[in-house]
Amino acid sequence: MSDELPDRDADKALAGEYALGLLPSEEAAAFEQRLVTEPELRALYAEWCEDLAALTDRIDPVAPPPRLQGQVEGALFGAPGGTSGGMGWIGVLLGGLAAAALALGLIFGADLLQRGPQAPSDPAYVAEVAAEDGSLVVAAAYDADAGELFVDRREGGPREGRALELWLIAGEDAPVSLGVLPGDAQAALAVPQDLRPQLEGGVLAISDEPPGGSPTGAPTGDVLAVGPITNT
Amino acid sequence: MATRADIEEWLAACTTGDRRAFGELYSATSAKLFGICLRVLDNRAEAEEVLHDVYVKIWHNAGRYQANGLSPMTWLITIARNAAVDRLRKRRSPRASMEQAEARPDPAPGPEAQVIAASEGERLSACFDELDEGHAQAVRGAYLDGETYADLATRFDVPLNTMRTWLRRSLLKLKECLSR
Repeated sequence: MSDELPDRDADKALAGEYALGLLPSEEAAAFEQRLVTEPELRALYAEWCEDLAALTDRIDPVAPPPRLQGQVEGALFGAPGGTSGGMGWIGVLLGGLAAAALALGLIFGADLLQRGPQAPSDPAYVAEVAAEDGSLVVAAAYDADAGELFVDRREGGPREGRALELWLIAGEDAPVSLGVLPGDAQAALAVPQDLRPQLEGGVLAISDEPPGGSPTGAPTGDVLAVGPITNT
Repeated sequence: MATRADIEEWLAACTTGDRRAFGELYSATSAKLFGICLRVLDNRAEAEEVLHDVYVKIWHNAGRYQANGLSPMTWLITIARNAAVDRLRKRRSPRASMEQAEARPDPAPGPEAQVIAASEGERLSACFDELDEGHAQAVRGAYLDGETYADLATRFDVPLNTMRTWLRRSLLKLKECLSR
């Protein structure tokens, strides 16, 4: 609805209405769609959440009944131990195995982390680049200090004899290559200086390309996965 | 009293499956969130159910916290408030459609609204004071009582579009004051 407000003000009011849960469902859905691609709108919405949360300052804390914590943890992690009776020793054995597996995982995990590229601890932007059916999922995190995009391929990989190439799409611009994803699941790709400002609000995409990447500088194969870049 | 850094650390640990961190997070924040659920729902059993669901949601979505630009407490409060309001609206909707002719509560400020200025976030409170009283009540009603535009239009006895224009202008006024 427009009541002659300038655009920026209209968006400010709209973000407030959304934060209050006042928008009719179609308008709320349209707003959420815009949130994905418009960082400024996300910032406006975040500001409203902060401001409105102050309305709860005067609400006194009330301790929930003590059993509730157990119920939540039971729902999340399974029944609390000690009450299952009959399968005591099996539980102990399974627990032992799980602990051993976990310890191995920790050792190998730590070892891998020290040798391979490391995910930035405080990324400026993140993205999940995923195929619609989840067959290819790559998590990306941008380390602004290093100018590097850390990528972690969590599902899927290149087709036989092919390569996966990562692209940055900023606004209406043509996709720009950020490089071919290496064979290792985790890697750090240097982002050229001139592309860095375009990460904000951009979209990452992965296409199927010949080994070594697209020969033309533009995606030539199927676009396999896409994901919006979001601020952290 | 948990600091912002504590809460961020627990949330980060939750994403790695750290149950102990989740327990700490629950201990430190559940009373605040339960207070909010109770305030919105005014019903203990419902508030308990909503709080349960809120913490399940927090565990599953802890990884999304970093990406949204909110302070950790605001993130938690927003999840709790939204869940409580959703529940409240579900409870209300059958009645609202069946009893539209029913008299609405008196729009005069109750004792609660009158003491708000004493304890609310000071900056926000000062800015609410700059709004017409009815408009301030409408914004509060939407946030804390889950009132919809239809509810508010009935309560203030104005057409729905007028209500919306009012409220949007009040939001801009509020924002302008808050950013001063």
